[in-house]
Amino acid sequence: MALLDRSAWYNIARSTNWTPKYVPESELFPKDQSDPYGIPTAEWETFDEPYKVSYREYVSVQREKDAGAYSVKAALMRSNYYENADPAYLSLLKMHYGAIALSEYAACQSDARMTRFSKAPSMRNMATFGMLDELRHGQIQLYFPHQLVTLDRQFDWAHEAHHTRNWATLAGRHALDDVMMTRDAMTTSLMLNFAFETGLTNVQMIGLSADAANMGDYTFSNLITSIQSDEARHAQIGTPVIEIMIRNGKKAEAQQAVDVAFWRIWRVFALLTGIPMDYWFPLEKRDRSFKEYMHEFVITQFERQLRDVGLERPWYWEHFLDDIETHHHCQQAGIWSWRNTVWWNPTGGLGPAERDWLEQKYPGWNATHGKYWDVIIDNLRNGRPEKTEAVGMPAICNMCQIPISNKGGTVWKARIYQREYEGRRYNFCTLVCRWVFDTDPVRYKDWDTIVDRMYNGQISPPTAENILRYMGSGVVSKGGRDAHDYAWVKGYDRSPQAAE
Amino acid sequence: MASEDLSKPLKTWSHLVRNKRRPTEYEIVSTNMLWSTGDQKAPWAMGPGTPMTQWYVKYRNQSPLKHADWDGFRDPDQLVYRTYNMIQDGQESFVDALLEDHSRNQHDLGLSPASLELLAHFYTPARYVIHTVQMASAYLVTMAPASTIENCFIFQSADQLRWVSRIAYRTAELKMTHPHAGFDRDERGHWENDAAWQGFRELMEKTLVAWDWAEQFVALNLVAKPAIDEALLRQFANLCRRQGDTLTALLLDAQMTDSARSRRWTTALIEYALKSGDPGNRALIERWLAEWVPLGDAAIEAFCPALGPEGASLSAAAKAEAAKFRAGLGFGQ
Repeated sequence: MALLDRSAWYNIARSTNWTPKYVPESELFPKDQSDPYGIPTAEWETFDEPYKVSYREYVSVQREKDAGAYSVKAALMRSNYYENADPAYLSLLKMHYGAIALSEYAACQSDARMTRFSKAPSMRNMATFGMLDELRHGQIQLYFPHQLVTLDRQFDWAHEAHHTRNWATLAGRHALDDVMMTRDAMTTSLMLNFAFETGLTNVQMIGLSADAANMGDYTFSNLITSIQSDEARHAQIGTPVIEIMIRNGKKAEAQQAVDVAFWRIWRVFALLTGIPMDYWFPLEKRDRSFKEYMHEFVITQFERQLRDVGLERPWYWEHFLDDIETHHHCQQAGIWSWRNTVWWNPTGGLGPAERDWLEQKYPGWNATHGKYWDVIIDNLRNGRPEKTEAVGMPAICNMCQIPISNKGGTVWKARIYQREYEGRRYNFCTLVCRWVFDTDPVRYKDWDTIVDRMYNGQISPPTAENILRYMGSGVVSKGGRDAHDYAWVKGYDRSPQAAE
Repeated sequence: MASEDLSKPLKTWSHLVRNKRRPTEYEIVSTNMLWSTGDQKAPWAMGPGTPMTQWYVKYRNQSPLKHADWDGFRDPDQLVYRTYNMIQDGQESFVDALLEDHSRNQHDLGLSPASLELLAHFYTPARYVIHTVQMASAYLVTMAPASTIENCFIFQSADQLRWVSRIAYRTAELKMTHPHAGFDRDERGHWENDAAWQGFRELMEKTLVAWDWAEQFVALNLVAKPAIDEALLRQFANLCRRQGDTLTALLLDAQMTDSARSRRWTTALIEYALKSGDPGNRALIERWLAEWVPLGDAAIEAFCPALGPEGASLSAAAKAEAAKFRAGLGFGQ
C-alpha cells in the first residue's frame, strides 16, 4: 500500500476543538482577542477552507519556491543589473522594501492571533501556514535588498524605515496597526485576508511584476510573483469567516470591517503602486496604467468576490472610483515637492510624451494635475530649481496620515472634512476617512499626525532641519532628490509648444 | 549617526555595522524587526483606550521578566524560513519513507491487541494536546518582545501542526486496518474524559491563559513541553518499542528531533535572561516554576501509570528527565 491521500486524514487534523474544563471558554477565547461577535463555536467549526494543503506538502513546495527565487537572484547578481539600473527604478525598490519588508513580517503576528484565538480549528491550521508565509515574505524582502546597501545607503531603509518616524512610515504603520495588529482574530481575518490580501494585493503582484519584468529585473518580478502565490493561498482564510458571519446575522459587522480596511489600505497602496506605475517606469516599459490595473484586478475582481461571499460594494464606491483618478496623482506631485523628506529619489518624470500618455489614460490630467507641474516645469526650465522644493507643512489627514489634497487647476476640488470630538478638531482628506474615524473614535482620537507633532512640541523647535532629522532624513541616509536631476524637462526644449 | 558620511555606502544594515564582521544570513533577515517595541507605553498607533494596546502594554511590555535588550537574543540554530523548509522537507521525506515501508510490510495488521489499545487511548488522542501547544506557541508569536524570539515560536508552532497532521494520518490509517478499535471516533472522548489525560488537559488549558508572555513561555517550554516530550514521546516510544510497535516508536523519535531543537533555543533564551537580564529574573522564574512544575508532574503522574504495569517506573523516569532538563538550566537541582 502506498501513502494515504491527504483527503483520507485531513478532517481529523482539523478536528481539534474540545470543551475546556479547567478554565472557562470565555477566558480561553477572550472576545477582544477572539470573537467579539458571539457566534457559537459549532458555527465556527463549519469553517472549510477552499484551498487545502498539508504540512508535508507545504514544506516541500515552499522549499522549491525559495530555491527558484534565490537562484534567479544569484544569477542576476552576476549581471550587475542594479549597478546600471535607472535611478527611478531603484527608487521603486527603495520605497517598496522600506514599506513592505517589516510590514509582511508584522503580519506573522496577525496570523498567529488567528492560530491562537480562532474558534475554527481549520482556520487555526491555515493561519499557521499564513504565519510561516509572512515570515518568508519578511525575510526574503530583507535578504534581497541587503546587498544593495553596498550601492546606496537609501536601501538601509528596507530594515530601518519602520523604526523611524518618517511621515511615510507613520502613514503605513497607522493603517497596518489599525487593520492587522490591533483587531481580534476574526476581524483581523476580514480586514487582512479579505479586504487587503484578496482585495488589493493582486494589482501589486501582477501589475508591478509585469512592469518589473519589462525593466529586466527578473529578480524582483519573480520575487513578487512568488510571494503572491503564497498570498493567494492564505488570503482565502477570510472567505469562510465572512460566510459564517453572514449566516449568523453579522453581515453588517463584516461589511463594516471590510469597508474600513479596504479604504485604509487603499490610501497607502495607491502611493506605493500607483505612483511608480504611472510616473517612474519609462513609458515604453509600462504595461498598463495604474487605473487600468485597478479596474481589471480590483473593480471587476473584488466586486465579484464581494458578491460571491454575500457582501455589498463598500458604500463609498463612487468616492473610491474618483480616488483612483486623483489620489496618487496628487501624491506624486506632493512627494516630489517634499522629496527631501523621503528615503527614495522620486523622479518628476514628466516630459511631453509622458504628459500625453497621462492625458490619454486620465482624460483631463493636463487641465488639473498638469497645472501644478506647469509651474514646476517653468521654474526648472528657467533655472529656479530651488522654487520647486516645497516649504511649509501641508495639512495631514487625521486618518490616513497623508497630506490632504485633491484635483487643482480648472476643477478645484480640494477641501478639508472636519470633525469635532471631545474638544479637538480633526481634519480629514475625504468623507471616507472621516467615516472611518466615526466608526470608533476612541481607537483613533489620541494619535498625533506628523504636523500635530510640530505644533505640540514633540518636534522642537520645528525647524526644517529638526523636522527632517525627526523623520530620519539625513540620519539613516540622505533624503530624496529628483532621480534624474531634472533631465526629464529637457524634452520641452525639443518641443517647446508642449510646455505651453 | 548624523555625523557619518551618508554618501558612503554600507556593508550591511546600519544596525549590524557595529558588530564589525560580516553578518550571517540569519542576522540579516531575523534581527530587530518589531516596530511595536520602540515605545513601551504605546506599542501601536491605536490609542491607549484600544483593548489590544492595553494587552501588549500589560502582558508584554510590563512583564516582570526583564531584559534591557531582548533584541540581542540569538537562536543557536540560526534557523531562517528557507533553512526550516529544507530541514523539515528532509525530515518529512524520512517520515514518508517510514510510513510507506511499514504500510508495505502490513505493520498495522501485526499490531497486538495491547498495542492497539495503547494507540487508541494514548497516541491518537494526542493530537489534542499537541494542538494546544501549537496554539500556545502562536500566542507567544504575537507577544514575543523581539523578532529573534518570535521566530523560534513560529517554528515551534509549525512543528506542532506537523505532528497533529502525522497523528491524524496514523489515526486514519489505523482505522482502515482496524475499523472497530475506536480510531477516528473516540479520541475527543478520551482527551476530555479519561483520567489519564486530565493532567495534561488542565496543564495546557491553564498554560493557554497565562497571559504574561514570559510566564507562558516558562509554563510551556520549561514545564508543559518537557512533560509532553518525556511522557508522550520518550517513555511512550520506549513502551511501543518493547511491544514491537516500531513504527510508532520511530515516529515519536522523529517528533523528538523537533523538541530537541526547541530545547536548544529555550536553553539559550533562559541563559540570556539570566546572564544579561534583570537580576530578579532567576527568582522570578523559580517562583513560576514552583507554581507550574507540580502541574507538569501531575500530568505525567496521571498519564504514565495508565500505560500499564510499567507505568510507575515510566512516570518516575519522565518526571526525572523533565526535571533534568530544568536542572541543566540551573533550576531545581
